[in-house]
Amino acid sequence: MASDNSAFAHGEWHPPGSSRSVTSGLAEAGERLVASDETGAELAGGSLSAIEISARVGRIPRRVTFPDGSLFETDDNDAIDRFLSRKGRSGAGLVHWLERFHPRLIAFVAATILLGALIYRYALPALVEVAIAVTPPIVPQIMSASTLETMDRTLLGETKLDEARRGRIVDGFRRIAALSAAGEAAYTLNFREGGPMGPNAFALPDGTLIVTDELVELAGNDTEMIVGVLAHEIGHVEHKHSLRQIYRAAGVAALIMLIAGDIGSGAEDVLVEGGGLLALSYSRAAEAEADRHSVELMMKAGRDPTAIARFFELLETKLDDHSDTSIFSTHPGTPERRKAILELIAELRKG
Amino acid sequence: MVLAEPLAAQSVGQGSFGRAGHGDFQRLSFTGSGSEYFGIWIVNILLTIVTLGIYSAWAKVRRNRYFYGNTVLLGRGFEYHARGGQILIGRIIVFAYLVLYNVLLTFAPFAGIALVLLFLCFVPWLVARGLRFSARVTSYRNVRFDFVGRAGGAFLAFIVGPFLAAVTLGILAPLASRWTYRYIGSNLRYGQRAFSTEPSVGVIYKSWGISAAIIVLGLLIVGFIAFLNIALFATAIESPDLLPADMQMSLVTLMVLGYILFFAIFGVAALVYRAGVRNVAWSATTFDGKHRLLSDLSRLRYTWIAISNVVVTLLTLGLMRPWAAVRMARYVNEHTGVRFEGNVGEIFSAIAQEGSAVGAEFMDIEGFDFGF
Repeated sequence: MASDNSAFAHGEWHPPGSSRSVTSGLAEAGERLVASDETGAELAGGSLSAIEISARVGRIPRRVTFPDGSLFETDDNDAIDRFLSRKGRSGAGLVHWLERFHPRLIAFVAATILLGALIYRYALPALVEVAIAVTPPIVPQIMSASTLETMDRTLLGETKLDEARRGRIVDGFRRIAALSAAGEAAYTLNFREGGPMGPNAFALPDGTLIVTDELVELAGNDTEMIVGVLAHEIGHVEHKHSLRQIYRAAGVAALIMLIAGDIGSGAEDVLVEGGGLLALSYSRAAEAEADRHSVELMMKAGRDPTAIARFFELLETKLDDHSDTSIFSTHPGTPERRKAILELIAELRKG
Repeated sequence: MVLAEPLAAQSVGQGSFGRAGHGDFQRLSFTGSGSEYFGIWIVNILLTIVTLGIYSAWAKVRRNRYFYGNTVLLGRGFEYHARGGQILIGRIIVFAYLVLYNVLLTFAPFAGIALVLLFLCFVPWLVARGLRFSARVTSYRNVRFDFVGRAGGAFLAFIVGPFLAAVTLGILAPLASRWTYRYIGSNLRYGQRAFSTEPSVGVIYKSWGISAAIIVLGLLIVGFIAFLNIALFATAIESPDLLPADMQMSLVTLMVLGYILFFAIFGVAALVYRAGVRNVAWSATTFDGKHRLLSDLSRLRYTWIAISNVVVTLLTLGLMRPWAAVRMARYVNEHTGVRFEGNVGEIFSAIAQEGSAVGAEFMDIEGFDFGF
């Protein structure tokens, strides 16, 4: 038992690649580290630089791997730490020191929450703006072209509106597009039969606008109303809402993925759902912004800014859409939007 | 059992090692604690945020080392050997692919769909590689696990199975479970000795029946509640203006409740099923042809722990997550065991891996991890 006197840690030794185990002690022998059995016979040894000692994690046993592939395992983490400190290496390591159950962990919790909130509040929006700034114009063009192609193949049909009616709408649209920040050339208007989409108008990020026959029918002879709706869609393009939404969703997903490994799958699902709800609130804000844009553009053009409010009124009466805003909807509630628009007009007229 | 090399008594080991008698199941235990894991957990998250996600790979290593190391069988813990660098490379590749995929899907939907199909062809290979990686970085008593499953089996277990289960509304789920467990269980090796799993579809169906009953019963209850409030819904659909404000509120409350109830029903059914299938599959597993594995989770208790864990985690804004994770690990481990045929000391003394499992073909790129 000669070597046992100098052994600073006790544990089990395994020959290379074998599950056989031998009761063993770990001792320093000059510049070498040696594992020996109960009789003091050397089982394995090597210079400290050639030996791998696993980092400390909680109370799990430390592994000391010798150059020959054999392994010494011990529960005595403190002894290993003391040995490493003596040798001028960091004993338990900084990470383990941080991880120990200690009042400072309260500060870590606070820092984690604060950093998470800061990233969500400032870093994410900033990253989205950067991403939008570096996105070349070709990207929204390709995106829009392929979206329109997909929709034409699957949902939309050719317009059945007569030329004269389209002409009146295009005329109103051109005048209003000319007053927008990007100018008339930035926008093209397309007519399509909506099919399953029903009365609808939407904008693709490159400035392609689509209005469905059903919407034109719904508006009847009120061309002004359609122009108001198109001004709203121009607002979406001008504020780059669709790109912004894509980047935002990607950013939120990346944030969740980043910490997901440590939060558990049940909580992760809840976070993903919560992220979805937040995205919807963002989408509602975008609709309100586009509504405002419509009002401003129509006023600038000297046209009737309440036209889009009339459209919402029409939705309420003809389509019986009285939906309230809820956290589950992409658009603000129709009556609410109408009210907000009328209030904005009153405000702008005063000022 | 023919011992490759008869060993002296001293090599048999110590402590609880000699306890195993014939016919006794040696149960696993979990020796970690919630408070200890709390420190590891919060530092993992904090450093992950500070390093903009890069640390997440090392965080995974520390988390797994903690959980594997505290999973104890016969007085010895398991070990997790992956290095942060390996996992980081795997993650970067997956992340780059996801970015490429999302960009393509947004800008060219048809190309994106082609990419999905391509990815589906690629997934079985990735899954097999990922499983092999996970097995090879796991060791027990200095001997590594290995996984020899191929892409074909992964295709059946992880693509065909879930697809069949989905299109048959879960009726063929037991078949899919059998394929999955058989693929994993029969391709796993420990020191060149094979595990083998042959879960019977009939027994899985018995377990599945309980989950199916929960879903049917739950949906009947939801339907009944909806029926009781049919007047409210009818008014809401036909003439919403007639609804007073408080009725509208109760309508919204009802819908939110229904949503939660719906998820609760399917959640409970899934958890009950998962526990049942695990019991069936593990108990139908043998190691080296004679040592039997055991899983005897109580479906009720397992479901209760899983659900109360999520609730407690949410109520404490995540702070009790480490406690919840340790609680689940402890329960699952304590209901998992092995019955060794013969002297345990002799069995383990004879197990060695042929060469190193970490061979030349063990590339860093295999750090893909899938959360099985």
